[in-house]
Amino acid sequence: MTSTLARPEQGTPPATPGAAPRRRTGLTLARFDLKASPYLYIAPFFVLFAVTGLFPLIYTLVVSLHDWPLLQGQGDFVGFDNFAAVLGDRFFWNSIGNTLSIFLISTVPQLAMALVLAAILDQHLKARTFWRMSVLLPYVVTPVAVALIFSSVFSEDSGLVNNLIGLVGIDPVEWKHDVFASHVAIATMVNWRWTGYNTLILLAAMQAVPRDLHESAAIDGAGASRRFFSITIPSIRPTVIFVIITSTIGGLQIFAEPRLFDVSNAGGIGGAQRQFQTTVLYLWEMAFFRQDFGRAAAIAWLLFLLIVAIGLVNFGISRRIASVEGNRLNRRARRQLAAHRRGNR
Amino acid sequence: MRLSRRTTAGAAVAGAAAFALVASGCATEASEPSADEPIELTITTFGTFGYEDLYEEYMDLNPNVTIVANNIDTGGNARTDTFTKLAAGSGLSDIVALEEGWLGSIMEVSGEFVDLRDYGIEDRAGDWVDWKYQQATDPDGRVIGYGTDIGPEGICFNGPLFEAAGLPSDREGVAELLDGGWDTFFEVGQQYVDATGKAWYDHSGFVWNAMVNQLPEGYYTSDGELNVDGNAELKARFDQLAAATEGGQSAAQGAWDWNGGQSFVDGTFATFVCPGWMLGVVQGNTEAGGGDASTGWDFADVFPGGAANWGGAFLAVPETSDKKEAAAALASWLTEPEQQITQFEAAGTFPSTLEAQAELAANPTPNAFFNDAPVGSILAGRAEGVVAQFKGPDDSLIQENVFGPPLQALDRGELDGEGAWAEALALLDELVG
Repeated sequence: MTSTLARPEQGTPPATPGAAPRRRTGLTLARFDLKASPYLYIAPFFVLFAVTGLFPLIYTLVVSLHDWPLLQGQGDFVGFDNFAAVLGDRFFWNSIGNTLSIFLISTVPQLAMALVLAAILDQHLKARTFWRMSVLLPYVVTPVAVALIFSSVFSEDSGLVNNLIGLVGIDPVEWKHDVFASHVAIATMVNWRWTGYNTLILLAAMQAVPRDLHESAAIDGAGASRRFFSITIPSIRPTVIFVIITSTIGGLQIFAEPRLFDVSNAGGIGGAQRQFQTTVLYLWEMAFFRQDFGRAAAIAWLLFLLIVAIGLVNFGISRRIASVEGNRLNRRARRQLAAHRRGNR
Repeated sequence: MRLSRRTTAGAAVAGAAAFALVASGCATEASEPSADEPIELTITTFGTFGYEDLYEEYMDLNPNVTIVANNIDTGGNARTDTFTKLAAGSGLSDIVALEEGWLGSIMEVSGEFVDLRDYGIEDRAGDWVDWKYQQATDPDGRVIGYGTDIGPEGICFNGPLFEAAGLPSDREGVAELLDGGWDTFFEVGQQYVDATGKAWYDHSGFVWNAMVNQLPEGYYTSDGELNVDGNAELKARFDQLAAATEGGQSAAQGAWDWNGGQSFVDGTFATFVCPGWMLGVVQGNTEAGGGDASTGWDFADVFPGGAANWGGAFLAVPETSDKKEAAAALASWLTEPEQQITQFEAAGTFPSTLEAQAELAANPTPNAFFNDAPVGSILAGRAEGVVAQFKGPDDSLIQENVFGPPLQALDRGELDGEGAWAEALALLDELVG
């Protein structure tokens, strides 16, 4: 495009002195169009991100460096005092422990289950669309409704779960008082809502895996599980990493479920002894119940850093595992494919 | 990502434009609409407020007014909503309902609300019980709220359970039985526990609220000083409650859940501390648990330790409203005695104006759910002698997050009385400081 625009200038010298500036303006505009247009087209996203993402992020940092009562507003600059206070608060560390625990017992089984479900849905099932849509159904229900329903299901006195385990002679579990039991209950809500969603994403990736790889492996005598671990998983590596990262971000920000799991404590402490107060719930308590906006902003930043750190660790681990598998597969698969072709000839 | 100079400039222009857009959207109009112009008023209430019919009536009386109402499910969520919008500096409706429990925090920023003396509230000062009007007055003498209801407390009790334990089970008999201080209440409770093996009250938290609210000074002195550690009166009441709980009088229920209301039906506990607005809560939960009037809940004209108030609300007009005059007129009308009676009939919220109270005392309607108890006249009697208590900025925080957890541990037998008190003081130090 540049060359076609430039040619007339080289070929025909300006006829009148007055025409030159106009043509130069046109040229500048064209060059501007060429260079800037792509950026302008993607600008709406970045402008929107700057307004709704970057600005709050920076403003939160500003708030966290000030003494900032919720209602009275900005007070004195206090440097990193809010961060120090939060880091020295036993309830902060308690909330971090709870968050990590709920994160682990929700994300790990969730992704494992999503992988298995996606592999099943990837087979030639009857009424395929029906099954695929069905796994997404829980995702349509709002987290608040999920929390209310499960709160009743896990009720200690006459909840569904305690009634059911009572049938097989197990003593009632204190779902809202026991630390581990409450984490399992909340993780169940999260899993129920998100497993189907992740399943569909993984399924989409699985369908892009070349069928001939599977076929040749099957001909070579690889069983279904062997093909799943040696072909499917390495092939959908980028999607697995994507799902792990988004689950990490979501899993560390759990709020509605623990908030609504315990109606008896209006102050957002997540169980009488803070058994299941997650970090976002602790942030909520700090901002809206203790009315300390400065410290709440510091918690928000610490949580942000934690999520980035865990996200990076996850990225590293999942990349290494999958790429080791992938390299091994690629070499072996190439060899097998080559052998296969030779055999055919 | 590398940004060229041009795109940085472009982004800056776009950002500035967006900012200007936001800023212009925030600007409020200064002019007040005249009397006959069509006007739209927004109002935010919470819980069971009983205003729906009154809105219709007001719109019929004032055809130019359209009321857009929003009701938030609980007082706790209304607190979050109001605080968030106050902190953001925008978003509050023209009239906001404020709850007594978090009025202390609001008073710290009372300047955010209109001084209703500018709209003639002083002419109506004599309408309310004097302490209600006082509560809405800030230290500078500005009055920021029209009082709606108050929360005089009586005792809800279950007649059939009393009878089974060999106690008097009629309303008058129970009032006589429980007449006295908290020691009497807990003594009878112990008799009940010994006779039946079942609990006397639902959980310690509500009883504690009632005991604290009854004191002339609660968690704060009247001067606004924190008043927990070393407060002998408070500690003595805590010890009374702890002894009763250790004696098995608490059913250790989760508040606002009560096992889905079933505990109100299956005889888990026999008494319940009942401010006027709690009657609706008791009825709603009993019905949710599958019970009805025959479950046997009744309302006795007695309260341990004398008159006490728990809760009640105010209608305030925020400074951000651009229709202050019209909003104040509506809020004033809603809190007039006649309208307060309509509200009581719709929602059970007991009026804060003397005239409405006198009317309910003289002409009580029997409440079919509470064994035909004349609820209006009982509450009117219970409202006599109530003394307003100063609510400090962290009152609701202390109630929920400082005393809540140790009292639940006490209920479950995880801590004894001394341990629970020590835990409360430790939490107070950490959370309020």
